[in-house]
Amino acid sequence: MNTLLKLNDVHTYIGQYHILQGINFEAMEGQVSVLLGRNGAGKTTTLKTIMGLTPASKGEVEFRAHSIKKNPTYKVAKLGIGYVPENQGIFADLTVEENMKVAMRKEDTATLERQNYVLELFPDLKKFWKKAGGHLSGGQKQMLSMARAFINDSKLILIDEPSKGLAPIVVEKVMEAIVEMKKQTSIVLVEQNFMMASQIGDTYTLIDDGRTVHSGKMKDLIHHEELKRKYLGIG
Amino acid sequence: MESDKGGCTFLELLVNLVINGLATGMLIFLLAAGLTLIFGLMDVLNFAHGGLFVWGAYAGIFTYMFTESFLIGIVGAIVTGALLGLITEKLIITPVYGNHIQQILITLGLMLVLQEMIKVAFGPNGVAVKTPSYLAGSWEIGDVIIIKYRLFIIVVGFIIFGIFQYTLKKTKVGLIVRAGVQDKEMAQALGIHIKQVFLYVFMVGAALAALSGMLMAPYSGVIYAEMGMEYAILGFIVVVIGGMGSFSGSLLAAILVGLAGSFMAYYVPVLSLAVNMILMAIVLIFRPQGLFAMRKERST
Amino acid sequence: MKMKLSLQHLCFFLMLAILVLLPFVNDSRTLMILLTQIFIFGILAMSYDILLGYTGIVSFGHAMFFGLGAYTTAVMLKQMEPTLSTFFISIVVGMILAGFISFLVGLLTLRLKSHFFAMLTLAFSGLFLVVAEKWRSVTYGNDGFTFRAPEIFRDRMTFYFFVLACLVVIFIALYRFVNSPTGRILIAVRENEQRTKSLGYNTLYYKVIASIVAGTVASLAGSLYAVSLRFVNTSVMTMDITLDALLMTIIGGVGTLVGPLLGSAVIEYAQHALSGLARDYPIFERWIIFFGILYILAVIFFPKGIIGSLRMMFWKWRLKRNGINQSSVALSQEKERFE
Repeated sequence: MNTLLKLNDVHTYIGQYHILQGINFEAMEGQVSVLLGRNGAGKTTTLKTIMGLTPASKGEVEFRAHSIKKNPTYKVAKLGIGYVPENQGIFADLTVEENMKVAMRKEDTATLERQNYVLELFPDLKKFWKKAGGHLSGGQKQMLSMARAFINDSKLILIDEPSKGLAPIVVEKVMEAIVEMKKQTSIVLVEQNFMMASQIGDTYTLIDDGRTVHSGKMKDLIHHEELKRKYLGIG
Repeated sequence: MESDKGGCTFLELLVNLVINGLATGMLIFLLAAGLTLIFGLMDVLNFAHGGLFVWGAYAGIFTYMFTESFLIGIVGAIVTGALLGLITEKLIITPVYGNHIQQILITLGLMLVLQEMIKVAFGPNGVAVKTPSYLAGSWEIGDVIIIKYRLFIIVVGFIIFGIFQYTLKKTKVGLIVRAGVQDKEMAQALGIHIKQVFLYVFMVGAALAALSGMLMAPYSGVIYAEMGMEYAILGFIVVVIGGMGSFSGSLLAAILVGLAGSFMAYYVPVLSLAVNMILMAIVLIFRPQGLFAMRKERST
Repeated sequence: MKMKLSLQHLCFFLMLAILVLLPFVNDSRTLMILLTQIFIFGILAMSYDILLGYTGIVSFGHAMFFGLGAYTTAVMLKQMEPTLSTFFISIVVGMILAGFISFLVGLLTLRLKSHFFAMLTLAFSGLFLVVAEKWRSVTYGNDGFTFRAPEIFRDRMTFYFFVLACLVVIFIALYRFVNSPTGRILIAVRENEQRTKSLGYNTLYYKVIASIVAGTVASLAGSLYAVSLRFVNTSVMTMDITLDALLMTIIGGVGTLVGPLLGSAVIEYAQHALSGLARDYPIFERWIIFFGILYILAVIFFPKGIIGSLRMMFWKWRLKRNGINQSSVALSQEKERFE
């Protein structure tokens, strides 16, 4: 199995604040790699560093064996990394159709096929095709955001806390969607919802205080009570 | 009214004031449209916009005088505006991008330099401008006399508005700009090279300002260095009232401001600038994001 | 820290001594008039620094308050007896008016983005200028009017000392103001308004205070200016005045209080010298362009101005001397000051 994304001893500053103080992380092809940790541990910042929104000041960020540390955000996206941020990043005054359209980098058959695929996955989006993004429900926004990230031929999709604020039944839908998407792409998932993370995740990386403290296979973590208690406050 | 306007009927007066107001409004709209797009997309308030206006006027008018063609003059103004916009964005805006205070300070400095350069080149006194013959004069419709040039401005304004609305709503480019105005970061995360979009929008905004200056010239009959700052102030007022980043908002607000100014100038001339200030103050108190805003106002 | 304070105090007294003794040593009238102008604009620039340098507010309408003070003093001295008491009353009246208007304008706009304040102050000052032009019965419009100054100021030297005294008083008052708890909060607002708000401070209240302080001091400068010329016209309300204050503050060094004074000296002297040159070499007539370009370069490359850059160098020297590596934190903290 190939390593798609590799972070090695990554440090990130936001202003004068030293947020990431040594992140090590690997995401494999075809897997769901989960970033776990408490609030404020640095999970979102890790995703933003990968995307180039908060660039790393030290360490290595490699995507498909090429360094992307110095790449501006749009270039990172163009290399094939999709991003589903914590607040979904829906363009509120644009319709669902326009949100999808603006995300499309090419309007070829492959892309349109992917659009059809993703609309089958999220039928609500088809229903509200002409509705303004700002008028969608929380769950629908989440789906739109994921659909947008998927529509280009993304090799890797970064998803930040998709279950936040959603009703359990909607969370299930999101989980199903991620499992479906995993068939065609790879996913890095940040989640505080351990139930969800443990069910769909393949590997985990535990982050605390901006540092990687533990990583491994998800099925091993499920039974590791001590780690769960210490770093996630569970159990 | 009849006695002091020498036989002018009320209808004629009304029509004239409305056309006057609309014409002025259109000119301010062209100026404000660029300003509001630039602000909406880039979070930059271009205090040098007035400088682009006055350079457009001078470049356009002198091209017109040199080539004897008003149309070529207009083209000259637009090209000058776009070029100046390019230089400004690369040399002045980009180095201080992200720092609001520096941006405000530096664009004002540029405004100053642009204004003074006009004075160096053309002297501190104004230059008289003639309206091209085919646009000069007026039509008589019944009892009412309509000045041709003003109608011309109104038509041009609406055409440009139409073109822009179409571009914004129906083309991919317009879509990208609208998305960028909403959320720059997300647009980048979708692979859009937002900095390049900035440059184009800035150039377009600058070209619009220059066009406005050029069209204003025959309307007012004279061009002078300070006119940039004077009209820029009206542009800012319109942007505030219409809402930062709202293209259609700036049209409606500009018409409002133009009409208000026109009517005030006739009835209570002393108050004509004041009435727009008051409008602006009212909007700021009750609806600070503007009447037609596209974004939630952040206070920083 | 203690050493630095003493050095500053020493410089202060030295400068003061020089300025006090100067008229006795050198009796050039031009020099005294120039210095008086430098003091007056120094006061104006310091008031501007309170807004820009300490609170982080960009105002383009400062000329309003300067002009208000100038016209109040001029009108009162013309309409009433040109005595010293009238003069003092006019200063107070001007400051009250300026304070009131800066309070209103501040309240209206300071809750919004910095851009709004800049635009609105620009628009308001335009409005004031138009009022000054049109209200001919009081202001005589563009032509302006002359008036008699109090007897005691007929002597240039007395006026020089009076203005110098004002400058020293204002400087000390402002210095204590910026170092007071209120002043500290203003600096906090400049650094990070959101954070200051979340700490429980009503930032609007503090910004309005800064606005009032700046407005009233500017009005005082205007009053002094009017008396120095014994003449006033609409030029006291123009953008040029605001730009002068802006240039002086930026070039001298924002947020330093001393910087604007230095800036005033540099710019007033340069204006004086360049105008002189302009008589012989017409190319210098539009010297303001040089300042415009200098100003743009300063904003991009030397946002801290002269004093700010000197202080930065001094800090670096001290860190090095104490064997401390120029840690990124210390330097980035300095950098943050203007961001």
